[in-house]
Amino acid sequence: MIQVVRVGTKIGTDVRGQSCFTEIRNLGIRSIVGVKTARVYRLEGIEPEDASYLAEKLFTDQLTQVFTLNSPLIQFAARLIEVAYKPGVMNPEAASIMKAVGDLGINLVAADSSTEYGFFGTPSDEDVQFICDRLLVNKTVERVVIEPPITLIISGERGAITIIPICRMSGEELVELSKNHEWHLDLEEMRVLQAHACEIGRDLTDGECETYAQTWSEHCSHKTFRARLIVNGVGKKPLIARIKGTAEKFADGLLSVFDDNAGVIDFFGGQGLCGKVETHNSPCALEPYGGAMTGTGGVLRDIFGDGEGAKPIASTDIFCFAPPDFDPEKLPAGCLSPRYLLRRVVDGVRDYGNRMGVPTNNGSIHFHEDFRAKPTVIVGAYGIIPVGKCLKGKPQPGDRIIVIGGRTGRDGIHGATFSSGEMTDQTVQVNASAVQIGNAIEEKKVGDAVLRCRDEGLIRAITDCGAGGFSSAIGEMGSETGIHVALERAPTKYPGMSPWEIWISESQERMVVAIAPENIVRFFEICEALNVEATWLGVFANTGRLVVMYENETLCDLSMDFLHHGLPQRVLNANWVRPEFEEPEIPVPSDWRETCRRILSHPNVCSKESIVRMYDHSVQGMNALAPFSGVNHDGPNDAVVLTPILGERYGVIISHGLNPILNRIDPYWGSVWAATEALANFVAVGGDPREARLIDNFIWPYPDEQELGALDRSVDACVDIAEAFGIPYISGKDSLSSTYRGKDGTVIKIPPVLCISVFGKIRDVRKTISADFKEEGSAIMQVGLRKLEMAGSVYYDLHGIVGNNLPRVNLKEAVRTFQKLHRLIARGIILSCHDISDGGLFTTLAEMCFGGGMGASLELGYAREEKERIDFRLFNETAGCFLIEVRDMDVYEVQSLGMHAEEIGRTIASEVISVHNRGHVFRADLDELKEFWQKPMKEVFH
Amino acid sequence: MRPKVCILRTDGTNCDEETSYAFRKAGGNPEFVHVNQLRSGALRLRSYKILAIPGGFSYGDDVASGKILAVELISFLHDELQEFVDAGKLVIGICNGFQVLVQSGLLPLNTIGIRYATLETNDSGKFECRWIKLITEKGSPCIFTRGYDNEIMLPVAHGEGSFFVDTKWPEIGENKNCVALRYSEGGQPADFYPANPNGSLYSIAGVCDPFGRIFGLMPHPERFVEFSQFDNWRRESIDKPHGLQMFENAVNFAVEL
Repeated sequence: MIQVVRVGTKIGTDVRGQSCFTEIRNLGIRSIVGVKTARVYRLEGIEPEDASYLAEKLFTDQLTQVFTLNSPLIQFAARLIEVAYKPGVMNPEAASIMKAVGDLGINLVAADSSTEYGFFGTPSDEDVQFICDRLLVNKTVERVVIEPPITLIISGERGAITIIPICRMSGEELVELSKNHEWHLDLEEMRVLQAHACEIGRDLTDGECETYAQTWSEHCSHKTFRARLIVNGVGKKPLIARIKGTAEKFADGLLSVFDDNAGVIDFFGGQGLCGKVETHNSPCALEPYGGAMTGTGGVLRDIFGDGEGAKPIASTDIFCFAPPDFDPEKLPAGCLSPRYLLRRVVDGVRDYGNRMGVPTNNGSIHFHEDFRAKPTVIVGAYGIIPVGKCLKGKPQPGDRIIVIGGRTGRDGIHGATFSSGEMTDQTVQVNASAVQIGNAIEEKKVGDAVLRCRDEGLIRAITDCGAGGFSSAIGEMGSETGIHVALERAPTKYPGMSPWEIWISESQERMVVAIAPENIVRFFEICEALNVEATWLGVFANTGRLVVMYENETLCDLSMDFLHHGLPQRVLNANWVRPEFEEPEIPVPSDWRETCRRILSHPNVCSKESIVRMYDHSVQGMNALAPFSGVNHDGPNDAVVLTPILGERYGVIISHGLNPILNRIDPYWGSVWAATEALANFVAVGGDPREARLIDNFIWPYPDEQELGALDRSVDACVDIAEAFGIPYISGKDSLSSTYRGKDGTVIKIPPVLCISVFGKIRDVRKTISADFKEEGSAIMQVGLRKLEMAGSVYYDLHGIVGNNLPRVNLKEAVRTFQKLHRLIARGIILSCHDISDGGLFTTLAEMCFGGGMGASLELGYAREEKERIDFRLFNETAGCFLIEVRDMDVYEVQSLGMHAEEIGRTIASEVISVHNRGHVFRADLDELKEFWQKPMKEVFH
Repeated sequence: MRPKVCILRTDGTNCDEETSYAFRKAGGNPEFVHVNQLRSGALRLRSYKILAIPGGFSYGDDVASGKILAVELISFLHDELQEFVDAGKLVIGICNGFQVLVQSGLLPLNTIGIRYATLETNDSGKFECRWIKLITEKGSPCIFTRGYDNEIMLPVAHGEGSFFVDTKWPEIGENKNCVALRYSEGGQPADFYPANPNGSLYSIAGVCDPFGRIFGLMPHPERFVEFSQFDNWRRESIDKPHGLQMFENAVNFAVEL
């Protein structure tokens, strides 16, 4: 018997109901005049008296809430809708309820929680359906409860291990087999597998085929990046080799690069700094909340799983979506509305990052309508690790294979192979199981346990269970020895899972560790003390084989060598043809203030403060430069500066850069722009460009010849910029599946994204600066070389133009500028500095004014000889240029250093921006500009 | 002698390290203690002089913020807690720790198991992280807020911080000097957003028991014990980080115990 407790508001506002009502109004539905909500708790295995006791003691806040037992709570609503997780989707709250009920001395068999919405007014069936579809229910993981469940216990019969008769299959059958199982292996790869099966003289089990599919997936093995390329008929080195080459060339201070879960560079105080940036696009397209959570969780586990275990100190988020006001009616079939995606991704990052206690303090959002079918969601994590722990040991024969953390469920099956395929309108139905809801508290416990065990020297090796689940984590860890796993020992969330499902499930919050036999007892002690489940799954063995048993049956018996080296290198053709865009002459603005307002309220320019405030960006107390500062704490800064060891002066700077639309025009210059921007952000706050370390993330449309050609150019740009600055890449990742194919033939490719993340050390954080203007009457100077190439700019976008003449950053000039600027900042001469990017010089200036609570007067004419368009001057977005604030006496010094630096105006007390060009051009009120700049995101995140 | 501080940890605690740092910097001797260690009897509260319940998301803030840890403390550590506060020792709960103290009844009136107040979802409906201004209540018996004469700044970072009490509050709360800290603007209590970031009744940001030894607050004093932690240290000079005094007050008081 299930007891149902409903809890609702007695006094005060029903905040959830209020927020839902606002969103309903935003949908344009007027038939609903109010929304009330209730929390619903289902408790199985107890009597009504106990349920009543729990309702009073646990579920209800007696001061402000009321409850009912086994009866409705919301009265007189026109419609009642209960939204719950689907059976089998793990509800993180259930475990907490079980624990608290147990603490109150009551034994519960199972528990679940959900939310009930009561709509008041006269909603039609269509209205309610529309609200459910658009706001309340994500069908991938949630459902509307029609019939109350009879039991909450999930039962099932496990399937047997099946043999797949691969040896006798025709080519067509092989392709069909790969497709039906969502392996995403092509015919050539299936043939390799078939040949191997024939060679060893037997067919393969389902578990074996799945293991190959996981390990050989694009997601896990990066086949394209490792391929030999023929570019326009000429052979070139694999992409990955070119990028890694920079780490070999500029190896100074690198502790671990490209072969562990994260890259590690040297820091101060015997510590190393780790960095890792991942993408989580496919899950977020289907279930943005769960996708963002598991994305954040996954990249944080990369830090926990780096070396012998590292401590996360920061996470970053970079998103690309269609604009939030994009008409949902124009979305392709099977795609979620951009506004919903944006809100739910932010919710997911917030709920996971905040619970983990890892500050989310650097990021950005870019909008372009071609992200409507598949958004880009980039999540980064940074950490510290003692230098002596930053290289993991090699598992020795006899070491135990232990899994810690969450239990294994059916959620997250085929995530790796699914991420490797293109998205179609069927993706939602077919891949529902690939997404799941994260449980940050589970991961926090696991992280705490890992760090304790690391400090006691108990961990030989560790890795996170990410894509491919056990099959990848254990398979990789034991690749040089061999493994023997007793899979029936793995704790599962419910019975009925087939062995192959357990083996490849990507259930979250699990890590695999190798522990020497003498450390086992202590290891288990620590895990138990911290409420972390730890299970011995198997041993490392000197066999060179991957053996997985389920009870007495063999699920896998594979050669490690073939698994990890059997896939032949691909040879791929690439051929990039430069597209031509229109670039007509546009008029100089007649209404300057209106143009400025439109620039500042452009989604790519507008303030993202409403989002950043929802992230706990100050937890751990390490911020030495916060994302926002200034008189009203709302002026944006270019990068974050952290002091990971409290009380020490040394710190780390984290920044990033990207510009997808430029990659459409020319991926070489678009990529140069991204990297220059990332480095400019790093330098603007006080970073030494020589200390910058780079992380690349390529999020690309499916790599056909043209897109692969574009990728080739982008990688060349990445290498060129590393060479120019003499700095390496230390980690990177590619995700090459951001093409959508609809049944009706619609093909949507995202503008290719190269996101460059930068991090590096600084000896003294007191030598960093912020972007807000500090003093009235200072000189404002423009630093860096700009050529007023306007293609891809926000200004052009306002005119509906892409253009061809995109910014071509002069790298030699940028290197010189950055070094000189850094020295000036370190000497304390510069009062504030902000780099010029999206929205151009005018936006940079406005943001410095907002932060400083003071205005600026610009004189663009007197420093310039040639006649230039003022609008281009104000809105050009060439990366690598800055505005700086200096005292009058320092102007000459800045100008005498041989970099491009010119005085263009002064800070003033009155809160206006006035622009002159040997004569008055326009004047705009700061308050008004700020309102337009803040409005777009305030509206989405009301 | 540095007084021993019990930094209580459990699943989801995440401000423990900076809280420990603040106490150490203030002259205390903080130790991390998992609630399991108290439940099992491996460690005893009585060997500490200060109990600090740090911020975070204990048990995911499931059901209600701080609720599940409060249930655990009441169910298993009721007597030990009562003995601890009866001995005149100090208790501080920050953010989630404050929520635990309120959920358990320790605040505002030191009545374990009986509640007079609650911390509700922010009026904005959102988790928010921002710097806010605070004034201490004149005449408050609170040990932790002694010596703060001017308006101070601290960060808040929470989604459920709206302090709420029933209508009897003026007689039971204000009369017993339970208010220790209020959100402010220009030195006056602020009842508007975002100066009052969550819609707390009477702008209340922190409360203490009538003897001033149990203290809970939503803002994070442990995040402002170094000057560089302030977001505007480049434009406003700071004599002493504003959160530090609270920890020093506690340590200085505890030394005498």
